[in-house]
Amino acid sequence: MAFFLEVLTGGLLTGVLYSLVALGFVLIFKASGVFNFAQGAMVLFAALFFVGFIDLGVPVVLSAILTIAVMILLAYLIERLVLSHLVNQEAISLFMATIGISYFLDGFGQTIWGSDIRRLDIGLPQDAFVFGASVLGDDIFVNELDVVAAVVAGALVAVLAVFFSKTKIGRALRAVADDHQAAMSVGIPLRSIWMIVWAVAGIVGLVAGIMWGAKLGVQFSLSLVALKALPVLILGGFTSVPGAIVGGLMIGAGEKLAEVYLGPVIGGAIEDWFAYMLAMIFLLFRPQGLFGEKIIERI
Amino acid sequence: MREFNETLLSVENISLSFGAVKALTNISFEIKKGEVLAIIGPNGAGKTSMLNVINGFYHPQEGVITFRGEKRRQMKPYDAARQGIARTFQNVALFKGMSTLDNIMTGRNLKMKSNILSAAFYLGPAKREEIEHRAVVEEIIDFLEIQAIRKTPVGRLPYGLQKRVELGRALAAEPDLLLLDEPMAGMNLEEKQDMSRFILDVNDQFGTTIALIEHDMGVVMDISDRVVVLDYGRKLADGTPDEVKNNQEVIEAYLGVGH
Amino acid sequence: MSDVQAAIERYDTFPKILLRNAETMGEKTAYREKDLGIWQSWTWAETADNVRALACGLAAMGLKRGDKIGIVGSNRPRLYWVFAAAQSLGAVPVPAYQDAVAEEVAYVLNHADARMVVCEDQEQVDKVLSVMEELPALEAILYEDDRGMRHYDQEYLHYYDTVQEKGRAFDRDNPDFFLKEVAAGKGEDVAVMVYTSGTTGRPKGVMHSHRALIESARLAAEFEGLDPSDEVLSYLPMAWIGDHFFSYAQHLIIGYTVNCPESADTVTADLKDIGPTYYFAPPAVFESILTQIHIRMEDAGKFKRWLFDTFMKVADRVGVDILEGRPVPLKDRLLYALGEILVYGPLKNNLGMTRIRRIFTGGAAMGPDVFKFFRSIGINLKQLYGQTECCAYACMQANGDVYADTVGPAAPGCEVLIDSETGEVMIKSPGTFVGYYKNEKSTKETVNDEGWIHTGDAGIIADNGHLKIIDRAKDVGRLRDGSLFAPQYIENKLKFFSYIREAVAHGHDRDYVTAFINIDINAVGNWAERNGIGYSGYTDLATRKEVYDLIQEAIESVNRDLAADADLAGSQIRRFLILHKELDADDGELTRTRKVRRVVINERYGNLIEALYSGADHVAVEAQVTFEDGRSGTIKADLSIRDVKTFEPLRKAS
Repeated sequence: MAFFLEVLTGGLLTGVLYSLVALGFVLIFKASGVFNFAQGAMVLFAALFFVGFIDLGVPVVLSAILTIAVMILLAYLIERLVLSHLVNQEAISLFMATIGISYFLDGFGQTIWGSDIRRLDIGLPQDAFVFGASVLGDDIFVNELDVVAAVVAGALVAVLAVFFSKTKIGRALRAVADDHQAAMSVGIPLRSIWMIVWAVAGIVGLVAGIMWGAKLGVQFSLSLVALKALPVLILGGFTSVPGAIVGGLMIGAGEKLAEVYLGPVIGGAIEDWFAYMLAMIFLLFRPQGLFGEKIIERI
Repeated sequence: MREFNETLLSVENISLSFGAVKALTNISFEIKKGEVLAIIGPNGAGKTSMLNVINGFYHPQEGVITFRGEKRRQMKPYDAARQGIARTFQNVALFKGMSTLDNIMTGRNLKMKSNILSAAFYLGPAKREEIEHRAVVEEIIDFLEIQAIRKTPVGRLPYGLQKRVELGRALAAEPDLLLLDEPMAGMNLEEKQDMSRFILDVNDQFGTTIALIEHDMGVVMDISDRVVVLDYGRKLADGTPDEVKNNQEVIEAYLGVGH
Repeated sequence: MSDVQAAIERYDTFPKILLRNAETMGEKTAYREKDLGIWQSWTWAETADNVRALACGLAAMGLKRGDKIGIVGSNRPRLYWVFAAAQSLGAVPVPAYQDAVAEEVAYVLNHADARMVVCEDQEQVDKVLSVMEELPALEAILYEDDRGMRHYDQEYLHYYDTVQEKGRAFDRDNPDFFLKEVAAGKGEDVAVMVYTSGTTGRPKGVMHSHRALIESARLAAEFEGLDPSDEVLSYLPMAWIGDHFFSYAQHLIIGYTVNCPESADTVTADLKDIGPTYYFAPPAVFESILTQIHIRMEDAGKFKRWLFDTFMKVADRVGVDILEGRPVPLKDRLLYALGEILVYGPLKNNLGMTRIRRIFTGGAAMGPDVFKFFRSIGINLKQLYGQTECCAYACMQANGDVYADTVGPAAPGCEVLIDSETGEVMIKSPGTFVGYYKNEKSTKETVNDEGWIHTGDAGIIADNGHLKIIDRAKDVGRLRDGSLFAPQYIENKLKFFSYIREAVAHGHDRDYVTAFINIDINAVGNWAERNGIGYSGYTDLATRKEVYDLIQEAIESVNRDLAADADLAGSQIRRFLILHKELDADDGELTRTRKVRRVVINERYGNLIEALYSGADHVAVEAQVTFEDGRSGTIKADLSIRDVKTFEPLRKAS
């Protein structure tokens, strides 16, 4: 029992990081209808800048602020140079553009900071600690870093939730997501809104990048995390923030449990494909995802 | 008969084309402050294009728009909204996933002052401002008698009510000029009567100038002070409902020559 | 001054009680109203102050003892204040139904000789103005809401606030006036005049004294253990005695809070906001809630529906026993507790019934299944029986002594007997009315010399001592073979089916029973959509073969039920048709409280009834209808007539 709980918590905590990456996708998709292939690249890009600043001797907090500034600037440039020229184009063109952005970010980041694996050590704890003394007589070990990540992610989601539901900008974001033309007619500046969304997605990416980076080191494979976000989105629905969170948790927990309990039976490496399998099953039975809007055509 | 002297907006020699297709040809007319102006004409006459030019969705190739004495060739929708032009759309362009309340709140967008940072964290002044604007929106909800659907996502509302919410959103901006694109399309008789009453009340109580496109001639004749008739992108006539009704060209355009 | 004080402290009129409340619980909330999205409230002290200002204003305008003042509008605190203000001066408030057409309002105001009328808003003012010429006695119109009123320049139109302002000035100039006027009021004075909805003939003005209202309200409040912490939502017409009883009489006597909804359309949402503890609704409301629940469940996902069905079965089995504190096996108790978390709790929360301590229904019979549904999910729904003429109640069910098919034993202070010859229910109550206004003849016919009121209902006293209403006394008829025909009983059984909104059974002096059916456009419309049947409107849907099949099934199941009861087996429905239009109060076919007006229907649809008793399998109709905007038009349709299977009686009649 204790072992099961340990695997489960470990999985859930990894899931939190999947959720963070998926969240970045959802934000941009909701506000602009763009499927942002570059979200993974943004995670890597942000992490690279962050670790780069630290390696230059900049204090941690200042590095974070500088990186946020970089992500905002990036959002501005993306809007200016790419998106604004593609207004009212097909979704597929915008998607292609984000693939371009993705390659550019991967390349540009590494051009500046090099392609070595960098250790990110900002004092986040790496030890496993004993959680809740014992459950049914056995100790449970939980990685402290994972717990910190979960708390940070939770706080971020809470802030975003308030931002979206209570503020003028949040409302404007939702308005833009619903109907571009109507939003313009009430005086919502589309371009600023897109810039804000990309900047927020960049900041979410930064948080994800720091957490992953602290765990695995900052390296190119970070941008592949984006690939794990895809099944998360299929599970949770492309337009749902809670969906991204629950989807991430389910995939994180599911793949760990599958690896440990099914691994010995059907061979290892289940962790690598489990998420995609689950996504496929969902596509068959609930294509709109757990929380996606069900589209019913009334006759 | 009401008298209006002050010009709020004038369009002069506006021509608009999409490639080789001429949507509007050399159109001039004025909207007087405080009046209800109807723009009518058969399908494809260029009515919606005219509204789109006024609020900046379309940029005419020729002509000048003067709004409150300020001349310009073209406008951006954002600028139009900021200067007091609000509008509704022929096919209802609401934010379907958002509640009635939130939809109308977006109409207050330009009236809200708090900056991005304080708004982002929902700090004191932003919260106070939010409450202030909510009070204005509640007045509009009361005015339009849509209390019962305050929290309902507008996508779930019947069409007639959506049109009313859309009017509410436009009113929230406290516009000087309100453009209504077929506010009564697809409504039954009772809904049309309600909408007519709301339009006249808006005009009467807030002094808002209204330019509307409408197909229902009965409604147009009842509620408008002046009528501009377009046909094939040209202006056919411009005058009081009675003058327009008796204008030979208008009769022909509507009934076809020879009837 | 001490005389005045002593007179006031007799607390034998409502204005005196209001002054007492302002004294003893001045800071407690008396009224709440949702306005511009926010619940506004008024304490008892503020209420008394406002009433005083209004009373003085009305006095300054010339309202005198014995004058009548009309009230036309929906439930608003400021309109309730008119009752107290008028009564302070010894004038008699006369509420009229706010959804009545201008002629009906005119009849009431005219018959009551109203000198003034307080209207809620522009709509009601327009209504009164349109019949101004027929109202020679009317001198002033007040309006509560000034929206849209600024272009009205008639000098007899007054804004409520202005009247109050004038009143405050008048009060300053005549500081003794108000209390003296209040003190001059006596318990036997007429407190209010409410017009009966009039199932037959013209409405009659029922006069009630302060004493009758106070006494019956007090007895009922003691019986139910009401206290000042109770909350009610007043949403039923102010002109109906029930609302006056709950939202005015008991409200003043107990001091609980009356909450007024934002508008008629927002009642469900407001109910959720407030969560009243004490509530009254006619059976139709419960029926429509249940229909709504069923519709939503049919649209819900499989899992949700399974959850609902499973736990409703549990509730059906043990819910009522748990509510009434009878022993229930532990397993069922646990299942019910789980159901409370998963189904009943959220459902009650959605209906705004989480805090309900008692909830009454009455005025018409309720389907036993509807009744049981609410009780089984833990809502203490009870029945009462009464009339406008006896301050709303004469019988009432006590906690733990509740049955679906009875209306309870005689309430405290009341007596009930059944006339042995006619089977009519006779009641005696401390709340017996003073008389009908300007109609001595009807008063004599209704109350006999010993004070018994003829209710006009047919009933029996059941073995448990409860009164059981079968039908209107004059409606109970006999088939040609002499067997009993109680149309309302049959109609209620039909109306339990969510697809049937209204039914009218025929059979008196006939060989067999037939029925008109009105389908429920929501329920049937929803069903049609799910089954891919397109339709353009009510008439189109009502004439569909598939819909006839659906209704036929329902009727056959009613027949099966009737066959089980020896006395009623002969009343099984042989033939039916679905009416081409909805029966409507605007067309005079229903009363405002949605009771069927048989005389009107028999007259208007005579040819349809004949067709039901001929061999024809269809009949053509053309009918006048009044649309919601007041215009009228004609509908033409060809209605099919269906034969229905009947069943052998299980037992022979004794």
